[in-house]
Amino acid sequence: MQTVNFKLQNHRTTGNFNFCIFHFSLCNATTTLVLLLSLWALSAIAAAAQPDLEEQTRAIAAELRCPVCQNLSVADSPSELAQQMRALVQEQLQEGKSPEEIKKFFVSKYGDWVLLAPPKKGFSLLLWVLPYTAAFLGLVFVVFVTRRWVRRKQEVTPAAAAGTPEPGQSQRDFLLGEQARLDTELKEIEFDFQAGKLSEGDYDGLRRNLEAQAAAVGKRLDATPVFPPRSATARAPEKKDSAAGARPNKRWQLAAGGLFLLLFGLTLGVLLTKSLRPRASQDSITGDFLTGTPSGGGADALLAQGRAAFEQGNWSQAIETFKKVLASDPNQPEAHAYMGLILAQAGHLDGALTAFDRALAAAPNLSMALWGKGMVLYQTGGDPAEARRLLQKVSGLMPPGPEKEEVDKTIAQIAQGGNVKTPTAKPAPPSAQSAPAAGEKIEGVVDLDPKLKSKIDGQAVLFIIARSTSGAGGPPLAVKRIASPKFPVAYSLSAQDVMMQGTPFSGKVFLSARLDKDGNPTTKEPGNLAGDYKKNPVDVGSKKIDIVLEAAR
Amino acid sequence: MRFRRLILTFIIIVPLLTLLAYGFFRDPRYIPSPIVGRPAPQFTLTLFNGEKLNLADLRGKVVFVNFWASWCPPCLAEAKELEGTWRELKDRDVVFVGVQIQDTEKNGRAFVDEFKITYPNGFDATSKIAIDYGVWGIPESFFIDPDGRITYKHVGGLGPTIVAAKIGEAKQKIVSAKEGKGEYQPIR
Repeated sequence: MQTVNFKLQNHRTTGNFNFCIFHFSLCNATTTLVLLLSLWALSAIAAAAQPDLEEQTRAIAAELRCPVCQNLSVADSPSELAQQMRALVQEQLQEGKSPEEIKKFFVSKYGDWVLLAPPKKGFSLLLWVLPYTAAFLGLVFVVFVTRRWVRRKQEVTPAAAAGTPEPGQSQRDFLLGEQARLDTELKEIEFDFQAGKLSEGDYDGLRRNLEAQAAAVGKRLDATPVFPPRSATARAPEKKDSAAGARPNKRWQLAAGGLFLLLFGLTLGVLLTKSLRPRASQDSITGDFLTGTPSGGGADALLAQGRAAFEQGNWSQAIETFKKVLASDPNQPEAHAYMGLILAQAGHLDGALTAFDRALAAAPNLSMALWGKGMVLYQTGGDPAEARRLLQKVSGLMPPGPEKEEVDKTIAQIAQGGNVKTPTAKPAPPSAQSAPAAGEKIEGVVDLDPKLKSKIDGQAVLFIIARSTSGAGGPPLAVKRIASPKFPVAYSLSAQDVMMQGTPFSGKVFLSARLDKDGNPTTKEPGNLAGDYKKNPVDVGSKKIDIVLEAAR
Repeated sequence: MRFRRLILTFIIIVPLLTLLAYGFFRDPRYIPSPIVGRPAPQFTLTLFNGEKLNLADLRGKVVFVNFWASWCPPCLAEAKELEGTWRELKDRDVVFVGVQIQDTEKNGRAFVDEFKITYPNGFDATSKIAIDYGVWGIPESFFIDPDGRITYKHVGGLGPTIVAAKIGEAKQKIVSAKEGKGEYQPIR
């Protein structure tokens, strides 16, 4: 019996290089392979090796409007036509055409309409000029109206402060003079209104103001004795000073208003220009703080957070962070590769392979993913030839050093062919390096409902799943995977099959089995078979726990 | 003074209202084609019967190119009438070509069988021909004169009257000033 321990044992950080030490102990060969891998350095090498064709295609597609969408670029649209247009852009780039020639090609087919930014010539020039002209004219208009409004107020204000006779002038004479002035002004504005110089609204407002002032002056006139007391004129100079002091205040307000408008216009202009830029590949599809949902610090920052969590062994946080990265960019290769490493670490080898495949689909030379996939294939013994090919590719991408030597050693071991594990064996937690105690397993047989025997797919994978009785929605406690099972299948579920290392396999569990057509337990295909143990929950240590697969779910 | 103010208001408001009205009344999906009046883009189409059809070989004849898909209701509506028109006109130096796009070849063959279509039809799997013709709706039809120039484009379903009339115009090399429009679906 061969067992392989696949354990993330230690992480160190040295300068810019993050070294992960993966520990493989192979019992049959009693070989312990300590593999140092510089994930950081590898991803950098991979990024440098990436062709920029994709990026160029994206950049051109981002400037083309998708003909069947509402204001979406060809780069962002999921429509079939946009995909075909992207393929055509890529093809033309490969033929050596320049971005300008490619854009010209699409303009010759769909007109200027197809350009997201209309050309700055002819009628389209209006689109560029008009907003700025309108903004400028608007600003001029606002300044003009504000100034007129302030001036009018200033003209009215001194009169409103009536009651401040000149030195040497009696209060009564002053009020009489004011009354005469207000009378004249009322006549003047009436004349202006009749002549069409004043609008009805302005006229009404001014008239009401003047009439109110005239009424106030009249009231004070009634209350003023014909011979005023001598001290009545003493306060006049102070009041005049305060009225004069109001004028610079108004000017300051006007200046502040103008400055605010100018800043507002500039900010609006800058933000609008920024929000209209083509979306870069690292930007979120839902936009940034200008154009949509916030990205929470950007994909790079999230990736760095994820890496840090990964290095600290904080799996749940790392998973959450990489999920966020993938939500904003579903094809982010590094995030997929890290998810693969985490899944492999947790024993989800199928999930890990899927994640590595996704990473490699987006970045075929991403060393981390190549290495991870190679090691998983090597470990499961699923495809040693492919494992060797992938590891050779990684070795080719690595600079000479101890990491490369370790990879080369693994390749040599695969070539010898002695250390390949059987497909059904699972990575074991450290506690399970020795044989598990007899009490820590559940044994039994999984069989099929006789009616369903004819419906079995030869490629299907059988999963025997133990779930904790406490948490219904969480991940399974332990899973056994049996590829291409021949029914009835005898199984034994032990601490070796526990998914999260260090979790004890004891107490009561819910036991079920599932025959999955595509071998991916996270997807549900029609035709998958499933069955629960009839007398769930089961005590770990029980035997003859037989399950019948009967219902397709 | 009042009159001047009124004029000023009109100068500002009327263009704005006109712009708004234009925005409301135009079809936002409609893309005016720049290729009408220009030489038709060349293509070679592999027909459902395995033969290859090269547009350049049809020089000297009026060519009617129809882009369609089996999932598009206006295409279903016009299929029978197009076949009827083809049977009437096929001996008069006219060629009909059906280009199936954004679909599966299997569905295309079933469609051709169902409507007993006898004019050449083939599947443009990558939509290259469609993009070359600036297709954005479905069905879309192009009329090409004997000199190989596009004389008319029609977005949407076509009846026999328009097809016959536009083929007549193409024969006389008359380029239509406007594109035609019927009931259509945006392509996917």
